[in-house]
Amino acid sequence: MATVVSSSSLIFSYPTPNLPSPSLSSSPRLYLSSPHLSSSHSSSLSSSISISHSFSIYPISSRRPSLSSFHVKASAEKKKVLIVNTNSGGHAIIGFYFAKELLGSGHEVTVMTVGEESSDKMKKPPFNRFSEIVSAGGQTVWGDPAEVGKIVEGAAFDVVLDNNGKDLDTVRPVVDWAKSAGVKQFLFISSAGIYKPTDEPPHVEGDVVKADAGHVAVETYIAEIFSSWAIFRPQYMIGSGNNKDCEEWFFDRIVRDRPVPIPGSGMQLTNISHARDLSSMLTLAVENPDSSSGNIFNCVSDRAVTLDGMAKLCAQAAGRPLKIVHYDPKAIGSDAKKAFPFRNMHFYAEPRAAKEILGWSSTTNLPEDLKDRFDEYLKIGRDKKPMKFEIDDKILESLKVAVAV
Amino acid sequence: MARLVVVQQKQPSFSLLPSSLSEFNGIRLNNPIQYKRKVWQAKGALQVTASSTKKILVMGGTRFIGLFLSRLLVKEGHQVTLFTRGKAPITQQLPGESDQDYADFSSKILHLKGDRKDYEFVKTSLSSEGFDVVYDINGREAEEVEPILDALPKLEQYIYCSSAGVYLKSDLLPHFETDAVDPKSRHKGKLETESLLTSKGVNWTSIRPVYIYGPLNYNPVEEWFFHRLKAGRPIPIPNSGVQITQLGHVKDLAKAFVQVLCNEKASRQVFNISGEKYVTFAGLAKACAKAAGFPEPEIINYNPKEFDFGKKKAFPFRDQHFFASIDKAKSELGWKPEFDLVEGLADSYNLDFGRGTFRKEADFFTDDMILSKSLVLQS
Repeated sequence: MATVVSSSSLIFSYPTPNLPSPSLSSSPRLYLSSPHLSSSHSSSLSSSISISHSFSIYPISSRRPSLSSFHVKASAEKKKVLIVNTNSGGHAIIGFYFAKELLGSGHEVTVMTVGEESSDKMKKPPFNRFSEIVSAGGQTVWGDPAEVGKIVEGAAFDVVLDNNGKDLDTVRPVVDWAKSAGVKQFLFISSAGIYKPTDEPPHVEGDVVKADAGHVAVETYIAEIFSSWAIFRPQYMIGSGNNKDCEEWFFDRIVRDRPVPIPGSGMQLTNISHARDLSSMLTLAVENPDSSSGNIFNCVSDRAVTLDGMAKLCAQAAGRPLKIVHYDPKAIGSDAKKAFPFRNMHFYAEPRAAKEILGWSSTTNLPEDLKDRFDEYLKIGRDKKPMKFEIDDKILESLKVAVAV
Repeated sequence: MARLVVVQQKQPSFSLLPSSLSEFNGIRLNNPIQYKRKVWQAKGALQVTASSTKKILVMGGTRFIGLFLSRLLVKEGHQVTLFTRGKAPITQQLPGESDQDYADFSSKILHLKGDRKDYEFVKTSLSSEGFDVVYDINGREAEEVEPILDALPKLEQYIYCSSAGVYLKSDLLPHFETDAVDPKSRHKGKLETESLLTSKGVNWTSIRPVYIYGPLNYNPVEEWFFHRLKAGRPIPIPNSGVQITQLGHVKDLAKAFVQVLCNEKASRQVFNISGEKYVTFAGLAKACAKAAGFPEPEIINYNPKEFDFGKKKAFPFRDQHFFASIDKAKSELGWKPEFDLVEGLADSYNLDFGRGTFRKEADFFTDDMILSKSLVLQS
């Protein structure tokens, strides 16, 4: 319904789309066996990835196929789900939220974290909160994904999510075991980072990806081995239990009245989603295996934010003033990568497949979510933590910007 | 069902109005130009609900969107009247349009000549005629709508061409139809019109395009780039060039307008209508070159704050991110754009600029200001 309001607040409700009658799926597939692709597709009908120049494209054109939606009916069937979870990094949080959401919906969940339970890595979030998974009825185990069968002690699963591997060597043993163990549905957390940079954002499912990306080989392999599979390509996440700093990077500077150095123009768009958006999408895929099968899903919220915009929203959430300083990342050499938590270029995917195929909708509300995040930031006392800003200082020095001591 | 109805040839007796207020057009013959490029046809099958024949009034219709929209509506079998002052020819053969199609269209399209700002005239002429549906393509202010609504109490649908320019600028994009709007924007007349429609009992639909492009565009959008490419000149782009905008082809927009006709999913709804993908400023310069077969252009970035361009516009787009999600139209109406950016620009080039036609003469005054400054900086 159209609302014409003059308030400056952003309205994030999004109407649930009325799904028209079911039609043949024409969403991007790694396999070209469906006869209903239009004649405008110039690709060859083969099951291999065609490489063009230095980039790989899946054997469909990058042009989005016509909209089709399914009547999405959540299956009442409860599933046994195994999550193979990374022990560090930005994606660790995905398994944590997904496990809790599945358990909340009555499914059975085992989380297998890579490495050892006694490792120092387990002292950090979300691992230090795994008791929440256990008290919700889930199992948590540890081990080497190459030996997953042994570690889960022969338990049977309907669904496996690999939220760990970035290359075929790491994921192949999991895929192979899952296939031999009769797992029906295989899900994989890939990355929106594999999309080839474009002048025409956003990245949509089916767009050309970088042939040399490790994730691509994994995606291809999964599609070869399993008939029911789905691939999820996330970007950046916020949420309690995050293993990697996201908004904290901004808060650290804002609460200490330090300038926030942002590379380039600050106009670059990125996507920062609340982890609950990813877990809701994954859960929909588990509960609708037929609809989700054979599809790639950009696992992101449906809003992009500029780098400057993110800084502004963090400052607003913190209720503090903001000073942004822009710099040329090339001028600071090798420090550039560690200087800033996000890619310094447009990095912007949209979750079109999830909306169209799964009837999924985003609930990320950065202005509100960042307030919650800031509350937690204060609660854990991070604002008082002594910190060094060596790279920042280097940047500011080169720009001759004074810092209040 | 609409396709089976034969629209009767209207005789001058149709008009109860003084003859000076209505005019009809004869058939204009032109040199046949074969339509070689991608054939764009009204795909009636796309319509979710086929409507019966309607008596349709188009406010405007002789410049850009209306040229394509009116043809689609006539082809669908509706009786279409264009309300214009008659400044532009009521019919013109479109580039690429066959003589047969043009003749057919010309014989069926009707004209109601008048000034829509003459509210008394609007009320009397419309009420005496009676129309089922109004397409308001050129309305700018809310007060222009009142007399139309007053004259047509049984109006089935008021379809309004609004603008994505009504959205409040935001760091969170794309714009969705539910986003906050800016009561102070340059397009506040559009917003006030939407509010008025909402407040009246009428069944209305509002379409918010972003930047429209395509053959016969009177806004120098793609034309601005084509002039420079043709002249072999660099393209001056303000600031970083990573600003993201969005272009929607006029033919896709016309189709969306047809898609909402008598569509209950469109009742009292707003829809963003534009292209599938967005594009950076720099990317658009390259896409224009690609579409028109020019080599990749040199791009000169400049800081607009360092110049005083006076009243002249140095760049055809607002210097900010500006794009809107078309998800709602796609899922509710089953509409989708047919043209991707390069294809659409090629369509525009091949049917318009590439044939030597354009609306605004090339003016490189601001370009030269920018170039001379950057030359000075270099030396």
